[in-house]
Amino acid sequence: MNANDIVDIFRRILETNDIDVDSDFFQLGGDSLTATRILSAVARRTGTELTFDDFMAAPTPGSLSEKLACVTV
Amino acid sequence: MNVIVVGAGLAGLTAATGLSAAGVHVTVLEARDRVGGRTHGIEVAPGRWVDAGAAYLGVRHTELISMLTGLGLRTMSTDMVGASRFDIGDGLRTVDGRFPPLNAIALGTMFDALDEVTRLVDVNEPWRTPGADVLDRLTVDRWAAQEIDHPDAATFLPLFLGEMMAADPAAVSVLHMAFYLRSGGGLRYLNAFEGGAQESRVDGGAHQISERLAAQLPHPVRLNEPVTAIHTDDNGVVVHSASGAHRADAVIVAIPPALADRIEFTPRLPQSRTSAHTARGSALKIQLVYPTPLWREHGLSGWSISADGPLLSTVDDTPAGGSPGVLTGFVTGAEAHRFSALPADEQRAVAVAQASHVFPFLGEPVACHITDWLNDPFSVGCYAALFGPGDWTRHGPRLTTASGRVHWAGTETSTEYFGLMEGAIRSGQRVVSEVLTAHDSRSLVSELA
Repeated sequence: MNANDIVDIFRRILETNDIDVDSDFFQLGGDSLTATRILSAVARRTGTELTFDDFMAAPTPGSLSEKLACVTV
Repeated sequence: MNVIVVGAGLAGLTAATGLSAAGVHVTVLEARDRVGGRTHGIEVAPGRWVDAGAAYLGVRHTELISMLTGLGLRTMSTDMVGASRFDIGDGLRTVDGRFPPLNAIALGTMFDALDEVTRLVDVNEPWRTPGADVLDRLTVDRWAAQEIDHPDAATFLPLFLGEMMAADPAAVSVLHMAFYLRSGGGLRYLNAFEGGAQESRVDGGAHQISERLAAQLPHPVRLNEPVTAIHTDDNGVVVHSASGAHRADAVIVAIPPALADRIEFTPRLPQSRTSAHTARGSALKIQLVYPTPLWREHGLSGWSISADGPLLSTVDDTPAGGSPGVLTGFVTGAEAHRFSALPADEQRAVAVAQASHVFPFLGEPVACHITDWLNDPFSVGCYAALFGPGDWTRHGPRLTTASGRVHWAGTETSTEYFGLMEGAIRSGQRVVSEVLTAHDSRSLVSELA
């Protein structure tokens, strides 16, 4: 899953198109409830189960895709 | 024109205020010895008040905010600083932020399912939702058994619904849950403090709204006047209360639907407003008062969640000024029914013991106030009536439909922000224009004759 796929997930769950690979989820108004839905979508698509803390440390589509790459390798 | 308003909560007083401003003579009859309905203030120290009832608001609650401004009331932020305590899953823990130490993906899957059904609902006419008959028959606990497979999600759903709508998942239909969440602005808005429906509270207490509205009415609210019967004839209505019979051109019944059903109407209403499946909003609010908010010194926000209850969640409710320290606990859903059956001294002991378990540095509180809305005879539940299986299909279409000179208000008659203060106010505004349109010309005719 690349950063653009994650941009699409952010857009769907945060209901805004104004998102790019460097957009910070929490600065966009995302909260912990919404964050769980991002993690659930990522897990469904990739089979990789990230934790809430993983996401806190990598809250942009770009950083999250890098984290996924590390975990799945 | 003369109008009687039954109930001096936010809905009734909004209606009374609007009609008085339009030149209508309004008499408000209130069963309690106070105004405010499901808002109620407790003075925890001289001049320092906390909300024992409805408390929170957010920026989308536009009618409430403009009312506060008009009444000269201010809001204060509910912003939380510090870590949370969770007694859930693997025992007691301190965690940064408000997110419980449960499997995030399992919760995400659950929120996806909730979001999906919330989007599906026709919020203005829930009974017209595609598949309404199925969603209205199914209770949330049975739906969850099909939709949710992870134990962490099964643990969290009752906590979430308790907090959002004071409901036991076994008591409400999926249609009502979906409607409630949508009506309140959706899952995310309704859940959030910052940027959501719990962003602020009223500085000095939400009960002041009703007190100030009542004080501005041309005629004082008549307290201790429970209404027992409403008779309609060709000339108007006769409303029977403790002090006798009151005649008017129309009546606005602004009380919870289960209480409206206890009034004897002649002629009979075409339909009752509740069924045997309609449940009481299941919430008790407990305020533990300490000399100072000691948790802040330990880097804690006061926010906690305990899966086993009875205080399923706690929040720092310390008044502006920083003292006394007030920890407010919420007992909701099935837990509310268990807890409210305990004798008062046992309720207090259990609540204090749990607070000291979750926050071990807390000693004995200087006071403990327990407000049992579930068994309050003049509210019969809080936050709002819980619509059980079949209720929306059967009663929904007539919730706001006047029966001749009998009109309805109350947060349960608002499809916008149902169950919230905002919904109560919007219902009061709706009924003002309804009554003015329906009866104004008629009363002119009678005055001319």
